[in-house]
Amino acid sequence: MTMTCKEFERDLPLLEGVHSLEQDAHLRSCPACSDLVSDLNAISQQARLLEPSVGPSPRVWNSIEITLRHEGLIGQTPHEQVLRPIALGWRLRWLLPVAAVLLLAVGVLVRNRRAGEPFVATQQSSVSNSAGSAAVTSEAALMASQDQQLLNTVAARMPSMRDAYAADLRTVNAYVHDAEQSAHGNPNDEVSQQYLMNAYEQRAMVYEMALDRSLP
Amino acid sequence: MTDAIKPGDKLSEAQAIERAKQGDAEAFEALYNLHKRRVYSLCLRMTANTAAAEDLTQEAFLQLFRKIGTFRGESAFSTWLHRMAVNVVLMQLRKKGLPVVSLEETMESDEETARKEPGGEDRRLAGSIDRLQLENSIAALPPGYRMIFLLHDVEGYEHNEIAGMVGCSIGNSKSQLHKARMKLRDLLKMSRAEKATRP
Repeated sequence: MTMTCKEFERDLPLLEGVHSLEQDAHLRSCPACSDLVSDLNAISQQARLLEPSVGPSPRVWNSIEITLRHEGLIGQTPHEQVLRPIALGWRLRWLLPVAAVLLLAVGVLVRNRRAGEPFVATQQSSVSNSAGSAAVTSEAALMASQDQQLLNTVAARMPSMRDAYAADLRTVNAYVHDAEQSAHGNPNDEVSQQYLMNAYEQRAMVYEMALDRSLP
Repeated sequence: MTDAIKPGDKLSEAQAIERAKQGDAEAFEALYNLHKRRVYSLCLRMTANTAAAEDLTQEAFLQLFRKIGTFRGESAFSTWLHRMAVNVVLMQLRKKGLPVVSLEETMESDEETARKEPGGEDRRLAGSIDRLQLENSIAALPPGYRMIFLLHDVEGYEHNEIAGMVGCSIGNSKSQLHKARMKLRDLLKMSRAEKATRP
């Protein structure tokens, strides 16, 4: 009794390219099943040829580097070790409280989210709405102002590094924005909250590195 | 696809690994640049979302670099990294409650799936599959099918390895792969038929 198409297709998932005599005979006599096997093989072969297309954006490496430094997995290079010890002048002392405020703001936001309060106020109170929206806007403006002050300071001390730190700030701010969006959309998701914490920490790390490296 | 940096290049992979164990930032970056595209492509194909893929890429490399001190060279570094990336993706999918493997059979019967042919001339696909069509079709697969197909046909894992990673039986892995390929066949034929009807 010859094999039917139904029987052949029932066994197909288990074959992995090796056919019995009966299956081979069916393939020779059945154009439809022969085409099916040919198509599935072509798909599999083409899939193996798929190359990685594009790479991730630069923010991924920036985030990785910052985290590795923060965790102490990246040590100082010989070049960094010969730099003179940092001596903060009185004109730069204001940046330390800025970094502290950033981290405090993170703590407040995370506590509020865990208490169930939305980052942007809900429709329950129009007064809360405008207050919440105003808070978000003023926070963004504060961050932009802080960034500009940092870049002005770097430019004054080491002009050649200003553009590099401007790029780093754009990258980390985009990361913060993405993390805030994710945390806002998933207020009970611990992973999203952790990403947001990481994003704020990385922003503080950019400030720290800018201070370290731009001083003589 | 070769992974190792060629001799004469700035830093070989083996050198970069040893230096990274010592905390060398350039070594970490060299390893990252060497493998970032493949890891990112894997995450992107599995999630179909660039932001999620970047986050998972970051997490995979961080996990790798945190453990790099334990790498002894028993397996290829790229294999080690790749497994870590797959595990990171699977963990994320499980956290989000998304099905890693389709637990249900398709809604269609096996007969309907096997014999459904889009209208138009019935020709073999061999020789007419282009990369973009295939990528788009893979992205259109249900997540469970996509996962098994990517792991087996794109990344080259065997069914016993896939079963261990995603927590299913070898038979289930084979069945899911077959259904994924059948679904891709339908999608590619429809894509080809649409192209043929365009002016």
